Amino acid sequence: MKATTLRRIGARVATLLASLLIALTMAFALGRLSGDPTATILGPMALPEQREALRHQLGLDQPLLVQYFDYLKGVFTGDLGDSLQFYQSNTTMILDRLPFTLQLVAAGMSLAILIGIPLGVLAATREGTWWDRGASTLALLGQSVPVFWLGMMLVVLFAVKLGWLPAGQSGSLKHLILPAVTMALYPMAHIARLTRASMSDALREPFIDSARARGISTTRVVWRHGFKNAMMPILTIIVLQTGVLMSGAVAIEYVYSWPGLGQLALQSIQFRDFPLVQAIVVFAAVIFVLLNLVVDLLHSVVDPRVR
Amino acid sequence: MTELLTISGLSISARLADCDLRLLDDVDLAVRRGQIVGVVGESGSGKTTLARSVVGLLEKNVRVDGGSISLAGEQVVAPGVDLTAGVRGGQVGMVFQDASRSLNPLMKVRAHLAEVLHRHVPGIDKDEVRRRSVEVLEQMRITDTARVLDSYPHQLSGGLRQRVAIGLAVVTRPSLVIADECTTALDVTTQTKVVELFRTLVDELGIGLLFVTHDLMLASDLCDEIAVMSSGRVVEQGTALHVLESPEQDYTRRLLAAIPAWN
Ligand SMILES: Nc1ncnc2c1ncn2[C@@H]1O[C@H](COP(=O)(O)OP(=O)(O)O)[C@@H](O)[C@H]1O
Ligand SMILES: [Mg+2]
Repeated sequence: MKATTLRRIGARVATLLASLLIALTMAFALGRLSGDPTATILGPMALPEQREALRHQLGLDQPLLVQYFDYLKGVFTGDLGDSLQFYQSNTTMILDRLPFTLQLVAAGMSLAILIGIPLGVLAATREGTWWDRGASTLALLGQSVPVFWLGMMLVVLFAVKLGWLPAGQSGSLKHLILPAVTMALYPMAHIARLTRASMSDALREPFIDSARARGISTTRVVWRHGFKNAMMPILTIIVLQTGVLMSGAVAIEYVYSWPGLGQLALQSIQFRDFPLVQAIVVFAAVIFVLLNLVVDLLHSVVDPRVR
Repeated sequence: MTELLTISGLSISARLADCDLRLLDDVDLAVRRGQIVGVVGESGSGKTTLARSVVGLLEKNVRVDGGSISLAGEQVVAPGVDLTAGVRGGQVGMVFQDASRSLNPLMKVRAHLAEVLHRHVPGIDKDEVRRRSVEVLEQMRITDTARVLDSYPHQLSGGLRQRVAIGLAVVTRPSLVIADECTTALDVTTQTKVVELFRTLVDELGIGLLFVTHDLMLASDLCDEIAVMSSGRVVEQGTALHVLESPEQDYTRRLLAAIPAWN
């Protein structure tokens, strides 16, 4: 690797660490701004001594700055505190739920990619035809259907009316189908639209004509020359969407009673379990920073001009 | 001498929303082995349309109305006939204007050459690909072939990129090469070198070259014969000397006059 490359990556990592610190600080501030948690936990009838004892137990009687540094130290050592409602380590709970969410995101995203990319390429290579219009309409629809509503409809149709698939819970491949399809729709539409746009730009590049003039087959021109050059924005959106889905699949997990992170987040908010809310926010921030790094690395793998 | 390329009575038009637009009107042109034929004319006169029609790279709304194009006596283009897919990149090589954009930015020079060789030389093996890649770069007068082969397009100078693009057009040993404004984007020194390269290539390999340019002086330097185009028609045709010394058409005289007299 060249020195300039290393410097570029170094600068990038520094920026990402800075944005991570900002996100962590905001998560901390939010936790402290949402009022006195002891009131929520102990209820309005609690004695002042009881509340004082709990404040001490939670470390809330410390100066704010001390709390902040304790919190940062915890984050960087993997200790995200304990949940108020489950009396467990937040980190453990998040890691317990993570495989379910990962399973769902992997299935949904694969589906989105496998349908979205060919759909976008089809539209781009047949620009202006009915294929193009059909694919674009489908994509537009996919981006405007509310996930919550779609989930309900699929449950009503396939679980209640037809009885083909289970309505909720997890455990088998059958359980995965409906939530994965629900999850796939939006990113599929997003990927299809982006692929269509990026591909039709790439196919207008002069090197596409040159490749055709050299007698290279249409398939190869479209995929090796066109798609490869159109790929970077698509990869970026796939990776970033994965981040969104990992931390934001609340509606889907709720509709399908899927025991992932989204459901944990919902429970933590409902119970005002502020250490757990905070832990989940921190986890999401870390995931985002890591995925951003992945995008950068992918970029330099794909495009020699940014190496 | 046999004619490599014979264009006779070629008429081409584009369908627009409300009418048909004539792009080429009854064009006759021939290129023989070892000969360089220039196509000259102002912008919009139909040069690119003519060049692209030979390899079948016309836009979707463009159609051949009449006449024909033959390669070594075989008809490849006529109204309703398009056999160009069989000659593209094999029998006919093409070089475009802007080499910095006519190479895939994500592929090394080596991969470009390998791709076109694999496509046109059935059963070619790795060693042969390597040998012919080096050979063609040497023909392009490139000395550090190892470095160039391992470079991405953006790592090469404009002149080198254009040499690589020409190399890609000739590595399959075509009998005809078509160059469309392939020196326009280059500075004058590089332009001269590329023109010299074309001359030696034609002499060494015995190919025919159809050299499209808007630059009449450049064409007269390089070409054996010149066809002057205006509004889709060939208005004057003959040896370079003839066209330059005694232009019969006002149009040609205007093209000549348009050349800035800096020397
Ligand atoms: N597909 C097309 N549809 C409509 N007009 C076209 C098309 N292709 C070329 N033309 C027109 O035909 C004329 C000749 O174009 P071109 O062959 O590119 O000329 P040149 O290469 O000499 O500049 C131009 O006026 C151009 O606008
Ligand atoms: Mg042109």
